[in-house]
Amino acid sequence: MRAERTAAADARAASEHRAAPRWAMPITLLLSLIGLGVSIYLTIEHYNGNSGLACPESSTVNCAKVTTSPESVIAGIPVAVLGLPFFVAMVAANLPQSWRLDVPWLRLARVVATCVGMVFVLYLVYVELFKVSAICLWCTSVHIITFLLLVTILLAEAFRET
Amino acid sequence: MTGPRMPRAKAMRAEMKRREARRKQFMISGAVIGVVIIVVVVLVVVKVAGGGNGKSAAATAASSSVVSQITTVPASTLEKAGDGGTTKPNKVTGQPPLTANGKPELFYFGAEWCPFCAAQRWPMAVALSRFGTLSNLSQTHSAKNDGDIPTLSFHGSTYTSKYLTFTPIESQDVNHNTLDTPTAEQQKLVNTLDTPQFVGGDSAGSIPFITYGNQFASSGSSFNPSVLSGKSHDEIAKDIHNGSGDIGKNVNGAANVITATICQMTKNQPSNVCTAPAVQKIESSLGAG
Repeated sequence: MRAERTAAADARAASEHRAAPRWAMPITLLLSLIGLGVSIYLTIEHYNGNSGLACPESSTVNCAKVTTSPESVIAGIPVAVLGLPFFVAMVAANLPQSWRLDVPWLRLARVVATCVGMVFVLYLVYVELFKVSAICLWCTSVHIITFLLLVTILLAEAFRET
Repeated sequence: MTGPRMPRAKAMRAEMKRREARRKQFMISGAVIGVVIIVVVVLVVVKVAGGGNGKSAAATAASSSVVSQITTVPASTLEKAGDGGTTKPNKVTGQPPLTANGKPELFYFGAEWCPFCAAQRWPMAVALSRFGTLSNLSQTHSAKNDGDIPTLSFHGSTYTSKYLTFTPIESQDVNHNTLDTPTAEQQKLVNTLDTPQFVGGDSAGSIPFITYGNQFASSGSSFNPSVLSGKSHDEIAKDIHNGSGDIGKNVNGAANVITATICQMTKNQPSNVCTAPAVQKIESSLGAG
């Protein structure tokens, strides 16, 4: 009986507490902080009229064309501004304390948020390629960061130790 | 014997369940990442392949930076350009004055696919901005197989001025689909004036066709569109604003010619525009000063 209780308790404990791999927290936090930094820069430049946006210009790459296009505003909110709350939330969700909390709803929220962010990124890539016909390098860096966040968070969940 | 084995078997089943769950999680994660990669690759391939049907991209609203740069070219920059060596419109005689809303009318007839129209719209926008406010401009390129020249489009644009009325017709979009349909009167105007008698034999019948209140008319562009080739809209707008390079010289020169021709229509109003030395010099060479 004692042996049976111990095994069942171990199994319960294992299913309840599955530690994330150690690499997950620093990578996701770093990506979130970089994303937040780029979003802050793009927001500042948006309200400064994109006059100082450091970006090479060619017929394909043109940050100002993208960030001043009609598609750069959704429901009256600049896309650059939309990135801010996303990355603020991702920084909060990827702090060491958040990873240690290991509560199911937070894990689910982290995964769902990055998936929603990725879908939005795919829409923005479509807009850049087919509506504006120009690529914004700063925006692309945010897109890549979101993709890497998605990959890291999904793998972190899959690699959770039991 | 069976008592102690049961917990171990349960633990093994639990372990197998965990492994199965992890395998499923890997598969789901891999599928999500794979879908993202596939979507991006498909978007890029479709774009590189030219939209999948070889059609050129449709016009989009002009960026605020482009509009701002070309509608606020400093007078000193325009003055330096002179006529830029660009061609001048022909004088029209024997035709009734063209007016609309009680003001002389500048009528433009072009198409979005046309490379010469692509070139001509830049100086027109610069010149028109000296007499009024041009709004709701679009930006596009001429057709891919027609130079792919970066340009603006007057389709859907509005113009307010107390000196003249501007009536643009963009007859077709970049893929040769019908865009603006001219009225019977406008079509008659084109058929009558876009002829060797009024615009010269070399360009008669071509577009863009422009009549300046039926006092002057032109067909074709004032300068070679290849000057704009390979540049972005922002690069062109900056060069125009700063008067830099071949773009600054040609576009601002053509803008001065158009300005001088409009001054002929508006009886030299507004005076601050029409008394600019470069404009006056061109006006005198138009032969109607």
